[in-house]
Amino acid sequence: MLQTVSHRNGSTRNGTDPALKPRLRRRSTFEYVAWVVCSLIGLGILASVATNPNFHWDVIAQYFTEESILRGLMLTIFLTVASMVLGTLLGLGLAIMRSSKIKPVAATAGVYLTFFRGTPVLVQLIFWFNIAALYPNLTIGIPFTNIGTALDVNALIGPITAALIGLTTNEAAYMAEIIRGGFQSVGKGQLEAADSLGMSAATKMRKVIIPQAMPSIIPATGNQVIGMFKETSLVSVLGVAELLQSAQLIYARTYQTIPLLIVASLWYLLMTLVLSYPQSKLEKKYSHTTSRIPRKAKKVVLTAPEGIAR
Amino acid sequence: MSTDGTILAQRIRKSFGPKTVLKDIDLNIASGEVCTIIGPSGSGKSTLLRCINGLETIDSGVLKVNGEDFGYYETDTAYHALPPKKLAQQRTRVGMVFQQFNLFPNMTAQENIMAGPVLVKRADKKQSAKRAEELLASVGLAGFGRCYPAQLSGGQQQRVAIARSLAMDPEIMLFDEPTSALDPEKVGEVLAVMKDLAKKGMTMVVVTHEMGFAREVADSLLFMDDGCAVERGDAREVLSHPKESRTQAFLKQVL
Repeated sequence: MLQTVSHRNGSTRNGTDPALKPRLRRRSTFEYVAWVVCSLIGLGILASVATNPNFHWDVIAQYFTEESILRGLMLTIFLTVASMVLGTLLGLGLAIMRSSKIKPVAATAGVYLTFFRGTPVLVQLIFWFNIAALYPNLTIGIPFTNIGTALDVNALIGPITAALIGLTTNEAAYMAEIIRGGFQSVGKGQLEAADSLGMSAATKMRKVIIPQAMPSIIPATGNQVIGMFKETSLVSVLGVAELLQSAQLIYARTYQTIPLLIVASLWYLLMTLVLSYPQSKLEKKYSHTTSRIPRKAKKVVLTAPEGIAR
Repeated sequence: MSTDGTILAQRIRKSFGPKTVLKDIDLNIASGEVCTIIGPSGSGKSTLLRCINGLETIDSGVLKVNGEDFGYYETDTAYHALPPKKLAQQRTRVGMVFQQFNLFPNMTAQENIMAGPVLVKRADKKQSAKRAEELLASVGLAGFGRCYPAQLSGGQQQRVAIARSLAMDPEIMLFDEPTSALDPEKVGEVLAVMKDLAKKGMTMVVVTHEMGFAREVADSLLFMDDGCAVERGDAREVLSHPKESRTQAFLKQVL
């Protein structure tokens, strides 16, 4: 209280308390220049885009909600969700294999990762689409007997199946590394504690490792989802009518290439923005992991005083 | 005679790469005995303790815990490592308390204590929950069951960790510097729980720097230096009249 009084007494001639004056951030000349230059460039681009008739904004507006475009968008969303879910499951399996103490198991996962991360997804997609050239018939049956049926691989693996297999197998390789990184972030002491209680490897994985690895896996997976959403455009080469291919089908007919590419781009942009909001939330939530108290813990109210050992 | 709660080590050797950390250690601990292991850091005392719980494997020698060969079974020519299930079963009879507590941060105090009985022994959940509350009360933390480790102080976490090990009803409890990571004013509450446990007749092996605890509670003491068991005897006797020169030098520094 005394201190406040003495501060009051120390006020300056014009009456403002020096202790209450705001502290202003320094603004360099460069900052003002940057504002002006960037604004001018932005306005210039905007004006050019708005006035250039070749953009055909009317066409863009017309096709933005066209049925075939929306169908394509749905297929894109389906491919993203399906390949992410399957890829994550397969990736989890691969991550567990990769961390195995049994050499051939770990090596198998290693070879998988090397192969699928070392070749382009586009090549992999085309490869899966043409797999029938390698194995024309798939026989399901009991080995060394005549029981079973032969399936025509060409009929079995259509464009969408090939797209799904290609995206999933590729995504699994990346997810495996993300998940394995998560596993490694779990402290050695945690594993020793689980071991000393006599936990089996499976229990240890389910109850100790995976729950604690989640904070580092989830934000990275969110990034993968956003990446995958755009990656699905690659399957247009297989003739799968996802978002990009739907746009291509229209402009192949109408020759309005640029407007339709803009339609597709706007949808990709919109969806990416929609996805990045929860992603940034997730990232914030899991950013400081070491002393994180689980969400459920908030309900706990400590009524008893500090526990005292006798 | 029952061999439950006994530890017998004969000429245990253990190396990490070129460095031999345990050199022909002999150790005989009777049921209900409280043995403290002291020595300078890097002397192999933690490694010895970790061998008794199978967190490290020994290279040679005999190690019998609760009267059974630990982690291995013997044939005419060799010791063969036990399958994981058998090893896990042996481990459930030996509780371990760590310097860094190592509570599972994703589980509440109660869930931590229930983890062993429910996830390993497949015990009834309700009964285990009740037992967990009793154990929490016995370490002075009644009513703290719903707290997560991050909400507890170091001393409280360590007491929960002790309760977690006790929930498995082990015959032997191992403590690896249980108070070294604690604030000085929290050391007492953990030592009190350990004293209580010693009184109840638990076989305990305690690696510690708390000479006061060794003097007050321990029956026997082992001084280790550079991987060797230098001196072993009655705790108070060794602390007040060490025979070996290395023990004398060490005690002069810490007391």
